[in-house]
Amino acid sequence: MAAAGLQRRKVELLLEEVEHLPTLPGVSLHVLPLVMASPPRPRDIQLAIEVDPTLAARTLKLAIDLGHPAEAMMSIDAALHAVPLDALTASLLSIDPVDPDVLHGVELVRLWRHALATAMACQVIATRVGTVPPETAFLAGLLHDIGQVALRVLMPRAYAQVLERLRTGRADLLEAEREVFGVDHAVVGRQLAQRWGFAEPLQSVIWLHHQAQIPAANRGARGGLTELVRLADLLARQHGFSYHAAEQIPENTAEVAERLGLSGVQAEQIGRQVASAIELNAGRAGLRDEPSPTELGRVLLGANVRLGELYRSGYSLCHTAQAEFRQASLLLELNAALATCHSTRAVLETVATTACNALGLRVAVPYAVATDGSYVEGVRCTSSGGIEEHFLHDIAGTDRLEPVPARPPMPFPVSSAPVRAERTEGWLFERCGADLGSGPFYAAAMAVADTKLGAIVFSIGDPPHELTSQEAHQIASVAGIAGIALKRAQAEADLVALSEELANVNRQLQAAHHKSLQERNVASLSEMAMGAAHEINNPLAIISGRAQQLAAQQDDAATRDILQTIIDQADRISEIITELRAFAKPPAPKREPVDAAALARRLADELRPQGASAEVPIAVDADEGVPPIEVDPDQVAAALGEIVRNAVEACSHAEGGTVTLLVQALAAERSVRFVVTDDGPGMDPTVRARAFDPFYSGYEAGRRRGLGLPRAYRAVQANGGDITLESAPGGGTTVRVTFPAFQPAPPEPANGSARA
Amino acid sequence: MKEVYSTGEAAKICRVSQQTIIRCFDSGKLEGFYVPGSRFRRIPRDTLIRFMKENGIPLTNLDSDKKKVLVVDDEAEIVTLLVDVLERDGRFEVKTATCGYDAGLLTQQFRPDVIVLDYMLPDINANVVCKTIRGNPSLEDTKIILISAHIEEEEGPDEAHQLGADAFLHKPFRIDELVVKIADLLKL
Repeated sequence: MAAAGLQRRKVELLLEEVEHLPTLPGVSLHVLPLVMASPPRPRDIQLAIEVDPTLAARTLKLAIDLGHPAEAMMSIDAALHAVPLDALTASLLSIDPVDPDVLHGVELVRLWRHALATAMACQVIATRVGTVPPETAFLAGLLHDIGQVALRVLMPRAYAQVLERLRTGRADLLEAEREVFGVDHAVVGRQLAQRWGFAEPLQSVIWLHHQAQIPAANRGARGGLTELVRLADLLARQHGFSYHAAEQIPENTAEVAERLGLSGVQAEQIGRQVASAIELNAGRAGLRDEPSPTELGRVLLGANVRLGELYRSGYSLCHTAQAEFRQASLLLELNAALATCHSTRAVLETVATTACNALGLRVAVPYAVATDGSYVEGVRCTSSGGIEEHFLHDIAGTDRLEPVPARPPMPFPVSSAPVRAERTEGWLFERCGADLGSGPFYAAAMAVADTKLGAIVFSIGDPPHELTSQEAHQIASVAGIAGIALKRAQAEADLVALSEELANVNRQLQAAHHKSLQERNVASLSEMAMGAAHEINNPLAIISGRAQQLAAQQDDAATRDILQTIIDQADRISEIITELRAFAKPPAPKREPVDAAALARRLADELRPQGASAEVPIAVDADEGVPPIEVDPDQVAAALGEIVRNAVEACSHAEGGTVTLLVQALAAERSVRFVVTDDGPGMDPTVRARAFDPFYSGYEAGRRRGLGLPRAYRAVQANGGDITLESAPGGGTTVRVTFPAFQPAPPEPANGSARA
Repeated sequence: MKEVYSTGEAAKICRVSQQTIIRCFDSGKLEGFYVPGSRFRRIPRDTLIRFMKENGIPLTNLDSDKKKVLVVDDEAEIVTLLVDVLERDGRFEVKTATCGYDAGLLTQQFRPDVIVLDYMLPDINANVVCKTIRGNPSLEDTKIILISAHIEEEEGPDEAHQLGADAFLHKPFRIDELVVKIADLLKL
């Protein structure tokens, strides 16, 4: 049966295209005016739909297409409730009536009546049996022959052959259909039901309602939907609602009825009940109407007009949606661009550029108020010139700027909706004036959580025009997004500032830690020196004392010299311990106002002979009017002496070195600084770092005991001063010793006379 | 060391009455001289010693003429050194203590003219010893020389003065200087 196979495939392909089935002209004529009524009458529409197989199928499919679960769409009522009225009316406006020739050629009205009668019988049986909801049974009955409807309306000429075969009694319906189409209406119906997404029980009904023995898998419970529809179908056909004129009813209705728990008599009663009631429903469905072509044409034209209107309004909606889509895209792009902005300026520039390019602003001046409210940072951008200016504007102490609420927030939300700017943003017009061009100007606030962070001041169009509501809406959206970005940028800046501050605090902590470590070292050194003094000086006293005794008794001069060396070295050790203790615990300074310049000159005079012997000249110079300092003059002189001696030592290693001692008045810091500079070989970083450590000698080992600079350091500290050392290999060494200037007591400012 | 004695001193040393000494002087048994231009009798040390030996009088009391020095230091070698130095000098009778408690006890018994006192002692420090001694009027004339290994030379004299000591020496010291300081204090 290659031909049958081909035919079947043709049918399948045809069915694959089918979204809706046409309905009867009479039904169209009846339903379309209901749909076009203004306002539409849902109740009337429902009455029409629920008695028509194609309209019911259409409604069911619409509900399922809208995403409602098929299992819930088991009655027309459920489907109608699930579908919005406008969607339903739009769908119904597009129903097309079948051609009148087709109508008669394939006996469509008969089929429709059969569907309606079956549905009614189903409802009655379901009410009696109680196993299936009556409305579900009704729907199943109405749709059970949807495959036959499809074949008849889609391929009327082929179906005419089926009917012809039935009339000649050569085959029953299904056989005839298979002969002509290669497939019967039960299979076709199931295919449609499947493709349209109908619930499984409905598919079974459509597929299996002709089967005497229903496969267990599809039968469901006793008294299931399919059996119920099968009985209703038989009853309808027995009572004159067959789907073709020449039908024989071969089956025993009573048997089928019994399977549902009904007697033959009851079944017969139901059949008669349906037969008597059907005319009522048929009228309601418009089955009795046979409209004239003119009449139908008029109604269809009306529907067409309405469809046109629907299309136009849909187009306009679509247009608006497109505009909104563009706006959304713009905002998305802006958002993405702003996400990469990490500074207020970057945010402002991005907002300005986007606003000018995409929203048609002629001038855009977005500005942000600094978090402390002291100044405004802004950007001026024009459509022609891009970013023209980035400016900071001081607003501290002025009330020209609209107050920016920091805390508490404003009692009502700050709106981003643009308002006229000339009054609220007066400062900007004063500042930019002619650069802004002509108005009208508007300001859209950039706000987050009811706090205004800034605004976008702008004019729109060239020449500028009054803002339309759509433009206002667009700019408000941009300002809203910009506000969030601004807030984020400011938070980021605050975070950076905070982390910088933290780093600073960290540095201070480290310095303090270092200092405390140093102080602890000094403290433990002091303790150590104290113990050492006792532990070492006692043995030294014995060594020295015995040596003295021996020396006194010794006649030999050479031996006496040797003993004297022992005595001297014991003294030297004792001195070292004394110095160490002095470093660890310097004696309390006796402070008094001192003339720093005079002190420096006197010191230089004292040390010059030493310098001369090392061939190192010592120069001294002092600023005019150096204020006095309040220090222990002896301690400070000793400390500076150590530093100068150190410098002389350093220079004596190089040829032609000089040492300079300067006294500077640092007016700004209210302090006095001694600067000792030498042009000796300098120190490498390791030596420089340890220059103030006791016993660390940067020069040849054993040259000095290495307590000179450390003692100077301690003495300067004890006198309230500060000492720094700067040196690099080959670059000489500079030591700066700074003391605060003496602040005489306020009532008698002349008291702090310098000590000469 | 005293080279010349009065009759009263000689009587004390010999444990006899002054009249006996005067009689012996006048009878020529005890040789001596008059202070020029006066009637004060004076007896040189060597004639006194000869007189005492001739008459079987013990010389013990003559020795007590030495100045008594108490050396206080917990460092044994220091004590040994100081004892050595002071005894060699011959003018001093020396006793020693190694702690503050012994120092106090010996001060009561021995009645030293000078105490050479180390500051840092194992039990009580020199400041307490000084305070105790200075609190006792009968020890008013007792001189104290403070020695220390850890008080610096610049601060020492002030510190010593505050404690009621009469002189200060920083360890290590010159032994000559110690002897000179003792002699100075005792006006030897």
